Amino acid sequence: MGIWILLPIFLPVIVGILLLLPPGAGESAKKNQDHQSDSSLQEYPPDGGKESLRTRFARLIGTLDESPESLSRLHKLTAAALIVSALVALAAAWSGDRSFTWFELMEGIPVYFQIDDVGRLFVTVISLVWVLVCFYSFVYMGHEGNERRFFGFYLIVYGVLVALSFSGNLVTMYLCYELMTLTSMPMVLHSGSHESIMAALKYLFYSMCGAYLGLFAIFFLYKYCDSITFTAGGTLNLALAEGHTGILLAAIMASLIGFGAKAGMFPLHAWLPTAHPVAPAPASAVLSGIIAKAGVLAIIRVVFYIVGADFIRGTWVQTAWMTLALLTVFMGSMLAFREKVFKKRLAYSTVSQVSYILFGLSTLAPTAMEGALLHVVFHAIIKSVLFLTAGIFIFRGNLSRVDQLEGIGKKMPKTLWCFTFASLALVGIPPMSGFISKWYLAQGALEANIGVFGWVGPAVLLVSALLTAGYLLSVVTNGFFPKKKEAQETDPLDGITEAPAGMLIPLAILAALTVLLGIFPNPLIRFVSKIAAAVL
Amino acid sequence: MNLANLLDNYEEAVAMILFVIGFSNLLLQPNLIKKIIGMNIMDTAVYLFLALKGYIEGHKAPIVVDGVQSVDAYVNPIPSGLVLTGIVVSVSVSALMLSLTIRLYRRYHTLNLDEISTRLKKEDL
Amino acid sequence: MEFVQNFPFITIILALFSGPLCSVLKSRAAKRVNTAVICLVLAMSVAVLVFTLRTGEAYIYRMGHFSAPWGNEIRVGVLEAFMAVFFSVIMLLCMLGGRRELTAEVEETKQNLYYVMVGLLLSSLLALIYTNDLFTAYVFVEINTISACGLIMIRQNGRSIEAATRYMIMSLLGSGLFLMGICYLYDLTGHLLMSNIKEQVALLAASGEYHIPLLISITLMSVGLAIKSALFPFHAWVPDAYGYSTLSSAAILSSLVSKGYIFLVVKIFYRVIGFDVIRESKVINVLFVFGVLGMIFGSVNAIRENNIRRMIAWSSVAQIGYIYMGFGLGTTAGITASLFHILSHAATKSMLFVSASGLTDVSHGETDFFGLTGSGYRNRIAGVAFTAGSLSMVGIPLFSGFISKVLFASAAYDTSGKLIPAMIALAVSTLLNAIYFMKTVIRIYTPSHRAGIKTDTRVIAMREQPQKAVVLMLFIALNLILGLGSQPIVNMLTQGLEMFG
Repeated sequence: MGIWILLPIFLPVIVGILLLLPPGAGESAKKNQDHQSDSSLQEYPPDGGKESLRTRFARLIGTLDESPESLSRLHKLTAAALIVSALVALAAAWSGDRSFTWFELMEGIPVYFQIDDVGRLFVTVISLVWVLVCFYSFVYMGHEGNERRFFGFYLIVYGVLVALSFSGNLVTMYLCYELMTLTSMPMVLHSGSHESIMAALKYLFYSMCGAYLGLFAIFFLYKYCDSITFTAGGTLNLALAEGHTGILLAAIMASLIGFGAKAGMFPLHAWLPTAHPVAPAPASAVLSGIIAKAGVLAIIRVVFYIVGADFIRGTWVQTAWMTLALLTVFMGSMLAFREKVFKKRLAYSTVSQVSYILFGLSTLAPTAMEGALLHVVFHAIIKSVLFLTAGIFIFRGNLSRVDQLEGIGKKMPKTLWCFTFASLALVGIPPMSGFISKWYLAQGALEANIGVFGWVGPAVLLVSALLTAGYLLSVVTNGFFPKKKEAQETDPLDGITEAPAGMLIPLAILAALTVLLGIFPNPLIRFVSKIAAAVL
Repeated sequence: MNLANLLDNYEEAVAMILFVIGFSNLLLQPNLIKKIIGMNIMDTAVYLFLALKGYIEGHKAPIVVDGVQSVDAYVNPIPSGLVLTGIVVSVSVSALMLSLTIRLYRRYHTLNLDEISTRLKKEDL
Repeated sequence: MEFVQNFPFITIILALFSGPLCSVLKSRAAKRVNTAVICLVLAMSVAVLVFTLRTGEAYIYRMGHFSAPWGNEIRVGVLEAFMAVFFSVIMLLCMLGGRRELTAEVEETKQNLYYVMVGLLLSSLLALIYTNDLFTAYVFVEINTISACGLIMIRQNGRSIEAATRYMIMSLLGSGLFLMGICYLYDLTGHLLMSNIKEQVALLAASGEYHIPLLISITLMSVGLAIKSALFPFHAWVPDAYGYSTLSSAAILSSLVSKGYIFLVVKIFYRVIGFDVIRESKVINVLFVFGVLGMIFGSVNAIRENNIRRMIAWSSVAQIGYIYMGFGLGTTAGITASLFHILSHAATKSMLFVSASGLTDVSHGETDFFGLTGSGYRNRIAGVAFTAGSLSMVGIPLFSGFISKVLFASAAYDTSGKLIPAMIALAVSTLLNAIYFMKTVIRIYTPSHRAGIKTDTRVIAMREQPQKAVVLMLFIALNLILGLGSQPIVNMLTQGLEMFG
């Protein structure tokens, strides 16, 4: 049975590694080495067979150089690998509960995978966004260069993310979490410029800080829990925990802050606005849309599948968590509102929106949790659309600032329409998808027995939604209806045309989903309510 | 009482004082030769201490001349053996240190280790 | 008595006599003899390990058939045999990995002398592992020091001679204290054999007599060995000695020489004094504090260092701090964690040294941080190995470093009062490790033309340095084995420690 779980993890990872193995395109010395290795292959016997294997592989797929043919072969290979693994992953996820113990890392700590509803939800969202963004990047990455490396890591990260969604205990999750940080880092520093390296280091540093806080909690939970296998409702042994509640709560708080780093929760949110502007647009899209959600997944796993919601209900941890989440929601929106660099604005928006999810989780109420899980899905799709749009603006005209986008609607109406739909959805205008999740979030907060937060929460969410409208829809209105004086100057948007179809189609599919999921949300709602009912 | 103890065991006290003198010389002297002298003082102090521990008042060295007498006749021979071993070790170490010192002196014409270090940092190799 | 029981003694003697033999041979022949001896020692140690695992108990080998308390003894258990196997594996890999540098950096006529030193070093390490006699341990500590000094100074530039001098001075201070401690203990107990001393110490501790001299003796011995194994603040010689000696020396010094002393510390704790007595004395708290300080201080200095070799050396200071912190926890779990970290650090640090030299080779011999830009593309296997080593040092799961950190943390959990400082120290030093190792990894994978550096540097394919490539692959495999299959090894360590007691 293990093959169905391991295959979608290892297939992309192996193909990704094989893509990375051939000489990197970035080095100018590359050509020489290719010649060397080709000509000298006969002279020297290959040691260990590895050198020849990798040259042979590169020749097999014909991606030794950056010629259009080999790039198109590279794209085909990547797409094939990704689609096959996504299909296998989905098939594995939706064909019943499976579990698989791979090997024992240490005594009593196996590397263990299991598929449950949360994993299903995440793996579906991840696969959907990952495949569509992949097609987008085939066009986009042409302008960034060094595609082999990008797609290599892109595939590896997909495998790691599938593993993360399927991981069945805390240690496996931590392992995948760290690997995800490491393998996604090269996507941030793709351009190799000084800023991107510093941003990648910042990303790494924040993630490591966070992961370590999480690990700290894992140690404690390992001691006080019956097992570290994820079980709905938690495995905390209350008899053992008796008398150690204080330190346990502190450890749980540490894990919330730590895994919250990935989710952009205050106080470890600062990597998002640094990392996003320097990363290539598809990388930003998946960083925001998917990888930030990995932090959410980790928090769900720790709180609802290990600790159990009852243990922290009504404690200072819940209060602190709600406060941090609401603070982040508000702060993120404010900062986004003031930000002029488009991708930074979107990054702050992510900070704010992911904390919606965290707030929903922190209320520990079923309805709010449904809202949170819905928002996981919707935000992943919406934020991908937004970042992909930003990427198109950069791709076509190197327009990275908001004020450069005046009148863009005349030049790229289709792109801006997609953006408009996604913005409306994120603001939460019915019947768009964002409305449904926010409705559930607010209603859940009102229902939950959380004292003053019951009305502060929805109020903050509302204010933040208004701010969201302010910072996203202003782009739309300025784009479609530029102010008059701009028209008299030399038009900076001269020569800019609509995005190529290769980018537009994935974008349109995602944008359509933001609407469709809002109109037909029922299957999804039924599914998430099943999850929420199981753990609360 | 304590002072009396100290006076009773004055040999051990002397050994300890010598040890400390040697130790601090080895640690603190910048001059390499003085360091080596310090090391030798330190080692000698240890040997003195060992020999004292093996010595039993009124007994002879365990050299059998006219048949083995009772055990009471001899001092403990093991510390003497240890001292001999220790001396071998310390001679070889001193030789090594001296050879290093000669090397350094030929290169830098000084015996001051700190000065050598600063000069090394300046020339950056 | 089975024949295989003679092997520990034979390995020691074999390594010892390979030294003088090498001194009269030509360097090529000496090289062959040396490699053969290390391999032979490895094979014999494996046989001993298998034997001890099968019998499940330690045995005593009497030298010259004199029984305790007069004779000199060798004592062999699972832990000793395992350490012997591991040390000889690392020794072999270090020698193979640094062969090219050795021939390039050391005068032709002096190369056989290098093998003399290596033979003596191996012999003294084995003796330190196996011996059951404290004074024998002292003698081999000195042999170890002298041969290590030879390893440093064989490359004759000013820096390495100065480093060797500093190393000697620190070592002599350490051995002086250690010797004094032994003398005290001999005076108190009247024995030199570890097992006999332990009996007497237990009696002394039970009666409460000679409490202070016992404490002084413990302190002198542990501090002496701590100085010799470069625990903070006695580390001043480390960066120069590791940074400027020839490659094999740096790798051997960092991964084996200091570890030999540390293993002796474990022996003293368990076999000589008895762990309960140690725990009651406050010495371990001192070790804990200095270990924690070393973890932080070493990493901070590593961040500030621009020379890659010296950076790795500073990281060694930090890692030694980890090990002493584990001792300081005062639990068997802590010692197990430290022992595992000895393995993990030995496997990782030597790999880092070898791979760093591989990166330097393709960067005009630059050891400077900026000079290494893009070198990961030019020497792929070295780049991969350096990355793997860095990840292991940072403590990423899959690699050995993660396991040792987990072991440290769970060991700290069972102590009272040391949990929080240990956790904080682990966290801070992990982050600091991440900063300087990841910085370097990113640097070696930054395409050099983007950083504005000339790219006329040579690309080295694997087949140009097959030996180094194979060594690096073996190192990576070793790391992964330690990281993924840690449980059998930890079991073995625990079993060995039980046999100690």
